[in-house]
Amino acid sequence: MTKQHLPQTNRPIRTAWIFLKLLFSHLVGIAKTVVVSIASALDSWLLDSRKALYGIAVTRMLLGLSALGLLLSNYSTRLYSFGSGSVWNGEVIEPKSDFPKIWLFSLFHRAITNDYTYSLLYIALIALAVLVIVGWRTRIVLPAFLVMWVSFIEANDMLGDQGDNMFRIAVLIMLFMDTSRRWSFDAKRRDKQKSSADQSVPGQLGNLLHNLGLVALTAQVCFVYASGALYKAGGAPWSGGYAVYNPLQTERFGTWPVLSDFVTSWGPMVAVATWGSIIIQFAFVFLLLTRPTRIIGLIGILSFHIGIAVLMGLPWFSLTMVAIDSIFIRDRTWKGMSARVQHLALKARTLASGAASREI
Amino acid sequence: MIAFSLFVAWHIFASFLWIAPPSPLREVVPAKMLSGYMLPMFGQSWSVFAPEPINGDYRIKVRAVTNASGEEQVTEWVDATEVELSMIQYNLFPPRAGLGAYEVASQLKGSFDKLTDDHRVIAGLNYFDEDWQSRLEQKMKGYGQPELVDAYVKAEAQALAYSSQVAFAMWGQENVVRVQYQVTRQNIVPFAKRHDPEAERPPVQHVTTGWRGTVVRDGQNSAAFEDVFVRQYEKIQQEGTK
Repeated sequence: MTKQHLPQTNRPIRTAWIFLKLLFSHLVGIAKTVVVSIASALDSWLLDSRKALYGIAVTRMLLGLSALGLLLSNYSTRLYSFGSGSVWNGEVIEPKSDFPKIWLFSLFHRAITNDYTYSLLYIALIALAVLVIVGWRTRIVLPAFLVMWVSFIEANDMLGDQGDNMFRIAVLIMLFMDTSRRWSFDAKRRDKQKSSADQSVPGQLGNLLHNLGLVALTAQVCFVYASGALYKAGGAPWSGGYAVYNPLQTERFGTWPVLSDFVTSWGPMVAVATWGSIIIQFAFVFLLLTRPTRIIGLIGILSFHIGIAVLMGLPWFSLTMVAIDSIFIRDRTWKGMSARVQHLALKARTLASGAASREI
Repeated sequence: MIAFSLFVAWHIFASFLWIAPPSPLREVVPAKMLSGYMLPMFGQSWSVFAPEPINGDYRIKVRAVTNASGEEQVTEWVDATEVELSMIQYNLFPPRAGLGAYEVASQLKGSFDKLTDDHRVIAGLNYFDEDWQSRLEQKMKGYGQPELVDAYVKAEAQALAYSSQVAFAMWGQENVVRVQYQVTRQNIVPFAKRHDPEAERPPVQHVTTGWRGTVVRDGQNSAAFEDVFVRQYEKIQQEGTK
């Protein structure tokens, strides 16, 4: 008797069970499609082409310029700060950084007490920086430049700043990227040979490394800005809105005393600069997400760095940061800018030749 | 492809842990593993000007006892920080040569402040005859806290190696008998008082140390130091008298 009733009492449960099973398999289906389409989008983003080629070319040029600028502005005092006149700092006997203890990176460290060799290395490094800017044989030049640069800058820990660390990390990541595909002598040479192998297997591997490098560089710079803001947020001068006043009044970081007094005179402006620094640093990564906010973010961080460069006497630190931020400007925008410059140059040339012919 | 991507994912995660302020999240990765991966290549620290930016000036002045004419004489103080900082002021492309004296002074002051009062009294005495460095160190260590003394002795050796170069540049290596340096820190006028014409900067904090023997490290080229230092010294003297 119970057997007859069973199916009847079980029917609603059964229906529910079947419904759940259907729902589940449907959901799994959706999830699979989502995962597969994300994976394939990721796949094609990573493998199909190299991203931000103009941006990274600008990064290469500006980093080269930053190195060149630092080397030239220290040229006449190089022996005093880094060479045989600086042995008093004790680093010849006991280097503070680990790099001079590594064979490849000990080049400059070993040359400190020999003025002739030191100057020769210094000039060679200047030449390499120029080659990085113009993008000549970048695959060979960039690693050589990195090794020499690190060995130069890390031989003297006392006079270094965080810009040196950022520079080293950025250039190391860039070794895996295609930094001379645009705006370089390498690109000109390649155009003549007309060999583009983007879709071949080695080409895809190159795309992968390039794009992963881009991801790593983006993460690096976003972490730096956001953590800079977090570190500051806890300090009373920062939350009180007057922190930028303090360093600008010291001799070391207020290198233009008259200008420092001028920009810190009006309180509300000081608060805008202080809180603005924290907000722009913390919000930077989120501002990158859409185009209109990205423009705000990039202009904000650019003014932040120009302020540091001029008011605090840290131009090469600032230029290093600006160089890396260049990857966030789209290729289309860089191309547009370049076209406008070319157009203006052409116009100027025709005007000049017109004027010249009139004079004849 | 997956291997490369996983490696980059690890790199990004490690960088995140390293760069972000220390938090319990760091327990996820063993500390040795993290520093082993990050150092030295990815070494960095972004707590710049945080939680509070610098609000004071460090200075180092140097004087010497000279013996040019067979008679010992004490020179005037020379403000080495002023000489160097003048290279970076009102200069859009400042050389790093302008930062050495400032760094020497700040490092010396930092290690001196950590000493106990007993140690500081010893530091204020004169030590310049034979074996003075080890005698000073022994005497200080007699008052305990040897690790603080080690750090201080190191900073002082650096300050003296620098001061000796300044003295040689100013008065000639062959004339200098012993040297003395004076390290100070003075805070700026606080923000709230910046428009107050009566406002004065807080009092100068002094590091008091006695006369010392000169310190010259192997390979030091005093001429290379003198070239730049004296040129800049004379430049600001001329500007001062204009």
